[in-house]
Amino acid sequence: MRRTHRAGVLLLLPAVAVVLAILVLPVLQTLLLSVARNTTSVLQAFDFAGLANYERLFMTPRFRTAIANTLVFAGVTVPLELVFGIVLALLLNRNLPGRWLVRMAILLPWALPTALNALMWRWMFNTEFGLFNALLQGAGLIEQRINWIGGIPIAMASMMAVSVWKTSSFVALLLLAGLQAIPREVYEAAEVDGANAWSRFWTITLPLLRPAILVALLLRTMDALRAFELPFNLTDGGPLTSTETLSLYAYRVIFQYVNFNLGAAAMVVQFAIIMVVALLYIVTLRRDPYA
Amino acid sequence: MPERRASLRDRVALWAIVAVTVTVSFFPVVWLALTSFKPAADIYAWPVVFWPSPFTLENYLTIIRESRELLRYIANSFIVATATTALILAAGGLAAYSLTRLAYRGRGVVLIAMLAVAMFPPIALLPSLFDGFLRLGLLNTYTAIVLGHTGLYLPTAIWILASFYRTIPMELEEAARIDGASTLRIFWSIILPLSTPGLIATGLIVFIMSWNEFPLALVLGSSDAMRTAPVGISLFPGEFSFPWDIISAATVLAVLPVVILSAVFQHFIIGGLTAGASKS
Amino acid sequence: MKRTVLLLLAVLLGAAAAQTNLTLSIGVRGFGPAAEVLIEQCEEDLGVTIEWQRVSDVPGESRALYVTNFSARNPVPDVLAVDVIWPGDFAARGWIAPLDEYFSEDELAAFLPGFAAAAQVDGSTYAIPLYIDGIHLFYRADLLEQYGFEPPRTWEELIDQARTIVDGEGDPDLVGFVSMWAKIEGLFMNYLAFLYGAGGSFFDADGELAFDGPEGVKALQTMVDMLYQERIVPESVLTFRPDDARILFQQGRAVFMMVQDFVLDPLTAADSPVRDSVAFTRVPVFEGAPADAPSTVSGGFLLAVNAHSRHPEEAADLIRCFTSYDAQVTATLVQGKVPVRPSVYDDPRVQSERPVVAELGANFNYALTRPSAQTGTAYPEISEIMQTEISAALLRQKTPEAALRDAATQVRFALP
Repeated sequence: MRRTHRAGVLLLLPAVAVVLAILVLPVLQTLLLSVARNTTSVLQAFDFAGLANYERLFMTPRFRTAIANTLVFAGVTVPLELVFGIVLALLLNRNLPGRWLVRMAILLPWALPTALNALMWRWMFNTEFGLFNALLQGAGLIEQRINWIGGIPIAMASMMAVSVWKTSSFVALLLLAGLQAIPREVYEAAEVDGANAWSRFWTITLPLLRPAILVALLLRTMDALRAFELPFNLTDGGPLTSTETLSLYAYRVIFQYVNFNLGAAAMVVQFAIIMVVALLYIVTLRRDPYA
Repeated sequence: MPERRASLRDRVALWAIVAVTVTVSFFPVVWLALTSFKPAADIYAWPVVFWPSPFTLENYLTIIRESRELLRYIANSFIVATATTALILAAGGLAAYSLTRLAYRGRGVVLIAMLAVAMFPPIALLPSLFDGFLRLGLLNTYTAIVLGHTGLYLPTAIWILASFYRTIPMELEEAARIDGASTLRIFWSIILPLSTPGLIATGLIVFIMSWNEFPLALVLGSSDAMRTAPVGISLFPGEFSFPWDIISAATVLAVLPVVILSAVFQHFIIGGLTAGASKS
Repeated sequence: MKRTVLLLLAVLLGAAAAQTNLTLSIGVRGFGPAAEVLIEQCEEDLGVTIEWQRVSDVPGESRALYVTNFSARNPVPDVLAVDVIWPGDFAARGWIAPLDEYFSEDELAAFLPGFAAAAQVDGSTYAIPLYIDGIHLFYRADLLEQYGFEPPRTWEELIDQARTIVDGEGDPDLVGFVSMWAKIEGLFMNYLAFLYGAGGSFFDADGELAFDGPEGVKALQTMVDMLYQERIVPESVLTFRPDDARILFQQGRAVFMMVQDFVLDPLTAADSPVRDSVAFTRVPVFEGAPADAPSTVSGGFLLAVNAHSRHPEEAADLIRCFTSYDAQVTATLVQGKVPVRPSVYDDPRVQSERPVVAELGANFNYALTRPSAQTGTAYPEISEIMQTEISAALLRQKTPEAALRDAATQVRFALP
């Protein structure tokens, strides 16, 4: 067994080295930067600032807005994605007409680069030349052209719509695995008992799918809390800062206002939020009777 | 789901849902493609011109004639995504094998740790990665972006690969070990061939994720020559202008590879994504 | 023998000198076509090789690149194009070198004084003007003529004319006035144009903040009223960058447009629906302002030397080459860039091939720059504050008074 031990560690080494260098050490430095003053690298200079950066951060209204935006964005999009994701997963799991096309339809939004997807939507949202206003006005549904990404709070709603479009299918793919694991006999038994499709869904599918749902929610929530390229390319965080997420705010503080320390503090706060949410999910998952 | 003869009403409803799903999912890309084949003047017309008339390749030709940097961005994406995929499959394949099939203490912890670090927000990595690569003189090189992407996606890849390795029966390996084969030899001649589908699926997913990655590529490849397709195209608008005619054509070219990969290897990709999830 | 060696040494040294490699960082399209020609010329004239670092044309993006680059004391690029609002900031941070030892007073006097002032920090010159652009008022000459209007001199006239024409045409797709009122640098420029036209200024003569006075409120209130009361500006303008306004105007859907002069080329191109009807004039002022009151805000680029460059002398020579009289003529002819040497406006080649450049140049007699040289490292933050508060007023989240008051409080805090 010793031999295996050594070989096992050896094989693991390259991956662990890369993860340490690219993920772990940088995050540790971000932690240190957040309690330092006027430095872009703690190796070069480290002037301990205590919690001064955090104090300044929480006194900045824009930062508080960014937190609120991020939480609202995740809080609205993730449940919607779950609902659409379940519908799509149920659809995928059936013998469908045009099965290849349906699978493609579900894979496509996931596969598109978020940044370029945002550009495509930005064009469709364009008030003066965009597809949406053209269709709505053509159908006689609106008088005035809608200012999709230029108003408060409609810009946030538009951004959420793009996110739901893009990621519902990812949720569906995650749930599909759970669906496929449900033995067919369970349904057959229920059918003998005379349960209709609706009650079968509520009494069998949903409870058995719960672990998969929690995993999907966990992954999606973490991702939604990190949203960056969607606001970057769709709304630029605007109007005002009504669609500015924590990631976008931190990016700007770091690379446009060149305050690495304040930006690092913002990232640590975001990180803390993500950790808390992840822990909540994991605790729920552990307590789950079906897991 | 139980296979029953569905009633006509059910079948119509199902067809309707399928039609809506397909339409909703495809229309942005279809609209993008239609736009890219329109003459520039029609792109900005109101009322909107829905169908390209005349159908023109002019926007694509403009890229070739005047904005070749856009092609360079796409080539950069190919280089970065390919190198990232190769590195991840090599390092991740070995690691996932080690974590699932070789017995030693602490491997469960490592696997969980991999899941934990995958949660890190990419922006939190940027100050250090930027500063570090700058000091090493690697800023604005493929090396920096490739290493960044490798680190970013390695944990996810290890999880997906691990779920594939678990499906290979242990007995094969034990038999070989009794015959005196070394660990590396077992990996090479038994595990690798059996896990090829898993490697292909993981490779495709990593390739697509690297192709699409934005924040790291934005910061580590900020010079014009080093931009990847998503970064280059989204920064293409000039100080004043947003030439949607050119951008739409470039976007079509940049999403084409991932669309083709998804279409051709649909089965692998869906298999890979669901496998990773079900074992978490 | 000794002579041969010396000669050989001289040749070698000469060759080494000839191979000085300078890196020039400049936008791909902003000055690209002209740069291509000038690089070749200057390589020949100066006996150096020039590597062109193509940076983003979006100032915010290229600035992010420089900021991170210079914080690390990178000696590359040697020469960089700086937006007119950067020299104060970059000089205060010690990123760009003073050029006083390389350029004489006489040489500097040949440039537009208002524009060159943007690179004067503590009495030293930190950058040499490359080209100027700025805000003009573009209008549909055919529509104005049809309704018997002269080009507006005042905002009151403009609003009145726009209202009359839009009502008269009865076309739901036609708007009176468009500009770049998204939350971008251009919005701050826009507000300053209104402010200057109302007789106000950002700082008063004593260097105190002055934009929150009655002139400032009048300026911002007018912008808000144009949106919601006169309704001559579409609400989508709050997402407009300069080119969005240009596209709408080019489709014949706007009467007036206030943006930079880059729009002239596309507006007068063969496929432009308004190529025969577009005209431009200087930005209006408010009624009661003197006729020669400045009301336009200039932008543009200058060339500066990296403070850590290994070849500062050659870098300065490169700048001299790029900003020479002939180079300015070339840039004008190749790309229609408006020169920063007023003498170039009268050049016969420019007069015959790009007559419009002289007209554009004349408007810059009424131009002011933004308060960037005075505010140094604080300018980016000040601009951000102004953009945010002006947007808040335009989105009716705050009254103009409140927005400007809040802006003043924050700007005072941000000032060094």
